[in-house]
Amino acid sequence: MIISTHHLRKEYGSTVALDDVELRVPIGSVYGLVGPNGAGKTTLLGILAGLRQPTNGTIDIEAPWSKVAVLPDTPQFDPWLTGREVVDLARALVDPSVPIQRVDAVVEQAGLADAAHRTVGDYSRGMLQRLGVAATVVGNPTLLMLDEPSSALDPAGRREVLDLVARLRGEATVIFSSHILSDVQEVCDTVGILRNGELLFQGPISDLLVGSAVPDFLLRVRPPVDDAFASLRNAPWVRSVARVGQDALRISVRSAEDAERHLAETLAGSGARIVSFTPEAATLEQVFLELMS
Amino acid sequence: MSLWRLEWLRLLRTRRWIALLGVYVFFGLLGPLSARYLGEIVERFGGGVQVTFPPPVPADGMIQYVSNVSQVGLLVAVVVAAGSLTFDAKPEMGVFLRTRVRRIWDILFPRLAVSFIAIGAAFVLGSLAAWYETVVLIGTLPAGATLTGIAFGLLYLALVVAIVAAAGSRAKSVLGAVLVTIVVLLAMPIIGIVESVGRWLPSHLVGALADLPGGAAVDDFLPAAAVTVLMIGLAVWLAVRWAERREL
Repeated sequence: MIISTHHLRKEYGSTVALDDVELRVPIGSVYGLVGPNGAGKTTLLGILAGLRQPTNGTIDIEAPWSKVAVLPDTPQFDPWLTGREVVDLARALVDPSVPIQRVDAVVEQAGLADAAHRTVGDYSRGMLQRLGVAATVVGNPTLLMLDEPSSALDPAGRREVLDLVARLRGEATVIFSSHILSDVQEVCDTVGILRNGELLFQGPISDLLVGSAVPDFLLRVRPPVDDAFASLRNAPWVRSVARVGQDALRISVRSAEDAERHLAETLAGSGARIVSFTPEAATLEQVFLELMS
Repeated sequence: MSLWRLEWLRLLRTRRWIALLGVYVFFGLLGPLSARYLGEIVERFGGGVQVTFPPPVPADGMIQYVSNVSQVGLLVAVVVAAGSLTFDAKPEMGVFLRTRVRRIWDILFPRLAVSFIAIGAAFVLGSLAAWYETVVLIGTLPAGATLTGIAFGLLYLALVVAIVAAAGSRAKSVLGAVLVTIVVLLAMPIIGIVESVGRWLPSHLVGALADLPGGAAVDDFLPAAAVTVLMIGLAVWLAVRWAERREL
């Protein structure tokens, strides 16, 4: 583990922001930290970054401080510096031995080569976010903490940040806090779900989706759907059936194997005219909402 | 790019150096001029009122300079220093710096030093301008006493910068740091009304450049200088301690 916390607790007066958090971040993982607003994500990242003190508990980070990089959700810089100067300052502070050419390389990767010599005060919010990413990666960190890195970006900017995070896989460990669950599902391999300061789930994202999700199938037939609906409702391997519009049924089954073995036979017996039959994978959003409820 | 260069660029690109130099040199040139021609000025704008002033003496040039820069000049100095030393005023900027240095001192020291050097340089240049013009318009000033007065003024300005640093470590905005510093600086001369206490307070040093060329004894300012040195140490220590404990 590159990060382990033990009984981590943070109080703000009488408010408990984090309660007995046992975070485990595997080396090389892209760890998605998700939760609703006020769940404690930013507080947890702030403590890990050394910007806040825990009320109780301990933190073990298996990385030298110079190889830990942090990106706040809305990065800001002195507006009279140029973009290139910001990245160069980050390089000089973190590791002066990093060659100056690296500055130009990460500025270009961030899509800011044309604006590199413009002052930051003229940058849009999306450009500031990308500049923040460039300043974060310039020192070749082994651990990155990104707080909502794509929340302020337009779709193109968001895609660039997600691609950047995906490229970092295998080169660095990334903790990625976000409330955009599709982003987390796309780039993260491990997930931690926070609610009211408590870590409800932590582990591989595949475990979460398989372990929590009931296999569902979407069946489209020629109307009417009544006969198919009645046959499926009485089938012992079906957990539930729901109508979706005039011509479709969502079928929850006990297992995918049962569905694959019995569905065709049951539908043939009902005389239904099948248009399509599609398994529906659970999304992180469905699982998240299930956990939150 | 280093944190030292960052502060240098802050002075240049935000034009703060112009504000500092402009105010101190302007009052440096204006002070002796108004001391020399005070009678004529009052006569011209006094609506026919006849006021008789004693002939100006060289120390009057420095008295006018000191009385101006100890108000307007000091306010500009506090604002310039607070703009640099309140580095957590925008938390995202604080995060950028704090997560990239080992110790808070690494951030604070260049800001303290560059702020003091800039403010001190402006004060010295303004003092030299006042000195030169006093010599030209009124008469010569004793060099030793004038230089000692400038040195005491610099010591006081170092304290001002240190107080701004301490205030900036707690304040949530540049304006907050400015206001706290002004309250502290105003409190000193008010306490100094008590004569037995006054000569021990750093605010006593403000008048050194005016009083020493006029014949005051250096010994009279040594207690205040000693207390100022101690207070600089205390303010810097508080600035570091508070900044270390601050949460973003």
